[in-house]
Amino acid sequence: MMAKITGYTLFKIFVGILISAIVLAAAGWSVFIPSAKEPSYQFVNAWGKNGSGPGQFNDLTGIAVAGNEVFVSDARNGRIQVFDLDGNFKRQFGNPGDKPGELGRPMNLTVHNNELYVPEYFNDRIQVFDLDGTSKRIIGSAGSDPGQFSAPGGVAVGKDGELYVADFYGQRIQKLKPDGVFICQWGTTGRTSHEAGSFYYPTDVALDQAGNIYMADGYGNRIQVFAPDGAFLRKWGGPFARGIYGPFNGWFMTVTSIAFGPRGNLFVADFYNHRVQKFRPDGTFLTSFGSKGTAQGQLEHAMAVAVAQDGTVFVADFGNNRIERWRLAEP
Amino acid sequence: MDFKTAGKHIVLTLALVVLASATLAAQPIYKFHVDGLACPFCAYGIEKKLNALEGVERIEMNIKDGVVVVTMKNGSALDEAVARKAVKDAGFTLNGFERLSPVSEQ
Repeated sequence: MMAKITGYTLFKIFVGILISAIVLAAAGWSVFIPSAKEPSYQFVNAWGKNGSGPGQFNDLTGIAVAGNEVFVSDARNGRIQVFDLDGNFKRQFGNPGDKPGELGRPMNLTVHNNELYVPEYFNDRIQVFDLDGTSKRIIGSAGSDPGQFSAPGGVAVGKDGELYVADFYGQRIQKLKPDGVFICQWGTTGRTSHEAGSFYYPTDVALDQAGNIYMADGYGNRIQVFAPDGAFLRKWGGPFARGIYGPFNGWFMTVTSIAFGPRGNLFVADFYNHRVQKFRPDGTFLTSFGSKGTAQGQLEHAMAVAVAQDGTVFVADFGNNRIERWRLAEP
Repeated sequence: MDFKTAGKHIVLTLALVVLASATLAAQPIYKFHVDGLACPFCAYGIEKKLNALEGVERIEMNIKDGVVVVTMKNGSALDEAVARKAVKDAGFTLNGFERLSPVSEQ
């Protein structure tokens, strides 16, 4: 009899623990794994394949849209290729090297005031071109001092021409005057951390209309946001945005590129998840698109993202050496 | 073919073999593995650190398989500890360091 009561009690305790665990898991799921709040995107078309000819690529590492042109970093070919929005080749410029006009692994691109800003991973500099491909100036040099770079991966440009540079091995975001003079930085030079305001290999930067600074903390698997005065505002990406990676909505597996759309939402290239995720500026997950593969509409590592004024999204499909074009699905 | 012509051919062949061997001996090639190389931010980092080492002539990377092949300049050698440190400085761990050509003397 005693044994029966004890067994029944143990059973009740077990059931209680099980129910509690399920409730906690459900609560955790709803908190940490948000559902989509808008429809996904649909694939439109793609262009490119591996090679060195016009319209061919050898490592796509950056993309930007300006007006009706798409600029693409063709890293191992040491050049920028320019296409119309349908993917028709228009022109190219640059060769591998470290002289002015040459490129050493161009990365995430930015267009500002009809100038193309190209961070060069190998040459530790930002090279500025006019949109026809003429090199106009070079900012920065190799090193860890203020205003120097150690593998710059992305750049954003403010209204007054100030630069925000993701210094990949420098583990910092630097703010520079238009001529490259150092203003300030976020993060401790050369030191990785998952604390707010620190970085784990930052890859890209973007600015919203108010001048808030959005930073892609690459292997930190999160986005960090700062006010124009430098104050920390918020962060997101996985539980507590502490570097935990995963395949769920709102989680990342290496953030390699970010870009704003025309309605102020942020698009994130989620490299190892082979997808692009879309968020409101406050970090609310909206939707995602892309899956691993080589078929049309699939991605083999989403490396970079750019958004046209009409909301069309262009994705650098790294492993397949092609650009994919997506648009919001019809409801 | 007379004896004299055959002799010339043998001497020529031997000379080519010696020349090729000397070239290979002077230009060693090394191969090693690095896990997690799919992202170009990682792969370029390793490439950049290795390129900065003295004597490195060419680096080939198979990002998908995580294989790195380093060809050295004539007369140069790549020390495993040096390569390991370069890879570590790039944020990764080197595995399975081997000299492909010429094969190390035992």
